[in-house]
Amino acid sequence: MKQMTANQLQELEQDLNTIRDEVVSDLGERDARYIRRVVRLHRALEVGGRVMMPFGFIPPVFAAATLSLGLSKIIENMEIGHNVMHGQYDWMNDSSLHSQTYEWDTACASDSWRRTHNYEHHTYTNIIGKDRDYGYALLRLSNDEKWQPAHSLQFLNYIVLSVFFQWGVGLHELEFERVRSGEIRLRDKLPFLRDLARKGGRQAFKDYVFFPLITFPVAPIVLAGNLGANLIRNLWSSTVIFCGHFTEDAETFNEKDCVNESKGHWYLRQLTGSSNFTGKKWVHLLSGHLSYQVEHHVFPDLPAHRYPEISQKVQAVCKKHGIRYNTGSFSHQYGTVLKRILAYSLPDRMRVKLTSQPA
Amino acid sequence: MLAKNTQTKALHWLGKQLFNRNDPAAFFDPLLEKLDPMLVQGHTPARVEQIIQETSDTRTFVLKPAKRWSGFQAGQHVNICVGTDGIQRSRTFSLSSSPELWTQQGVVTLTIKRLPGGLVTNWLHDNLSCGAVIGLGDAFGDFLLPEPPQPVLFIAGGSGITPVLSHLETMAARDFRAPVSLLYFVRTYQDIIAAKRLKTLENCYSALTVNIIATHQNNEPRYLNNQDLESVPGLKARQVFLCGPMGLMDLANELLPQHGVRKADIQSTFFSAATPPVNPDLANQTLGGEVRFAKSSLEASSEGDASLLEIAEASGLAPRHGCRMGICHQCSCRKTSGTVINRLTGQASEPGEENVQLCISIPHGPVSIDV
Repeated sequence: MKQMTANQLQELEQDLNTIRDEVVSDLGERDARYIRRVVRLHRALEVGGRVMMPFGFIPPVFAAATLSLGLSKIIENMEIGHNVMHGQYDWMNDSSLHSQTYEWDTACASDSWRRTHNYEHHTYTNIIGKDRDYGYALLRLSNDEKWQPAHSLQFLNYIVLSVFFQWGVGLHELEFERVRSGEIRLRDKLPFLRDLARKGGRQAFKDYVFFPLITFPVAPIVLAGNLGANLIRNLWSSTVIFCGHFTEDAETFNEKDCVNESKGHWYLRQLTGSSNFTGKKWVHLLSGHLSYQVEHHVFPDLPAHRYPEISQKVQAVCKKHGIRYNTGSFSHQYGTVLKRILAYSLPDRMRVKLTSQPA
Repeated sequence: MLAKNTQTKALHWLGKQLFNRNDPAAFFDPLLEKLDPMLVQGHTPARVEQIIQETSDTRTFVLKPAKRWSGFQAGQHVNICVGTDGIQRSRTFSLSSSPELWTQQGVVTLTIKRLPGGLVTNWLHDNLSCGAVIGLGDAFGDFLLPEPPQPVLFIAGGSGITPVLSHLETMAARDFRAPVSLLYFVRTYQDIIAAKRLKTLENCYSALTVNIIATHQNNEPRYLNNQDLESVPGLKARQVFLCGPMGLMDLANELLPQHGVRKADIQSTFFSAATPPVNPDLANQTLGGEVRFAKSSLEASSEGDASLLEIAEASGLAPRHGCRMGICHQCSCRKTSGTVINRLTGQASEPGEENVQLCISIPHGPVSIDV
């Protein structure tokens, strides 16, 4: 990690606060109009997908319906749900867009997400042992973790996690690895499991029971389409999220380096631990602007559609302080993620020999 | 009836499963709103039918709420919700029409004066035009007519006439059989709100006596005095309703008992003035105040720059929270009244109901929080 003096960190903090203050003082009609338009797009795609689905016995209609429903879930999860729950639109005082009451269209209960993501992940970003999002306790992605033979199959684990991503996210707070090691008791996780069963059950009921049943003669088609839509969403959101922190140069941190850290140090950690990818406007919309992961981590509660605008300013601050701004094309960034998952599935000696680069 | 109820209950349950929200009907609102804002289900929409200029700074807005609106009693208030600068702002106003008008013609009226510096009142005057749709809450308040009829005295000041108009219209419509007097204080005779309606009421409703007094027509201010009260026949036996600025209410509360009116017979409803603008420099501010945690019926006082979260924890409460630095919004809560200062920006909040982050909000005077 880049070493900076207390004074430099304070200057960094002030520079970033200035960017933040400019956006906050400018929040208004434009932001409200943007998110309302996205919400309208989501409703139109979902209604369209559900209405078309029973006519899926016509192959192009099936493709359109599945894609429409898949896109609606992606937009709802990424650009609406994730961002609303960060409190990006709390200032609008609109009860349907409020961080603490919003419930999203995925198996993970919003309350659980707010605890594990908004609090744990965004506060302890990339601190090995504190940020359980780092590898999801399933993948070994840095040499801070000791290699074990089971890691050699982790690429398969990654595929399975991506396919069932909504359930993986839903189960995240179970902390299964700590339950297995006896560190915590399963009994203490019962309230969490109850909530997950209710929310996950509700999601499964809707997509896999209710909508197929009311369209009975074509139930298999509707079921297949709904499965397809969930799969599209799972694969896409998993890919976007992996590009956010597991790219080649995204840094990791030690717990002891972050005790009593200043806000400036927290900012530095967000800047160096996150990575962006470039793309067209629609790519940013579908990724919930997590393509601007750096900006998102520095300012998690600013409306995400503002990230492209402030990106130049954040880059200027990075340049001034000599901090690397991690970005690249989608294919390049994702390529380094896959390489990282594969590389760390190998024992360290073999990895170093093959990749000839240290962690 | 019961069948209908169970049906809606089952539908509501199903809606919750399908749309992940407690108000499933509102799921389609973003689309319906584009078709016709009156179709919205999340709140009760009301269309502006007519706007009447009462005085230079006061207008009456005639609203037609969606049929499902639950109605009101004379003297009650409603919250209205409008979106300005992307923010949903809700404010309370008295209804100035009678319930009879609502049941017969399906319309209600709000009579609203521009407040100096008031965000919403000025917005309503400048931007709301006929055909626009605003949100209307359920009516509330206990500034209600005596039942059965008893002699009544209204003392109103300025825009405090609005709930009284509702009362008078209702009394006239129901032929309320008891003497009714109104002492109405205005700054000058140009400031009389609903002058025509008052004249008409006085002519067609014989039990009513109206006395309009201008306080600043001459150089010497002329406030409520003993002669005004002595001019009201049978004052002791009257139910008194007060509505107006604090000065008038204080004066009336002081004078009325001297004329033998029992405290129990005086009802008042308050109009608080807008809070003065706050200096953004934290160091120069008087911080702290009484904090009421409504859901746990606890009160605490604070001095200095303790955040609401710290005050709550010091009072033995454990509100949900996360980062304690204003990032994660885990501690966002409903503030029902009062002003808070954002510790990070030094900005003061709005005085009304809204969401605040407990960990970075410092009370600025008395504050009430839903914790």
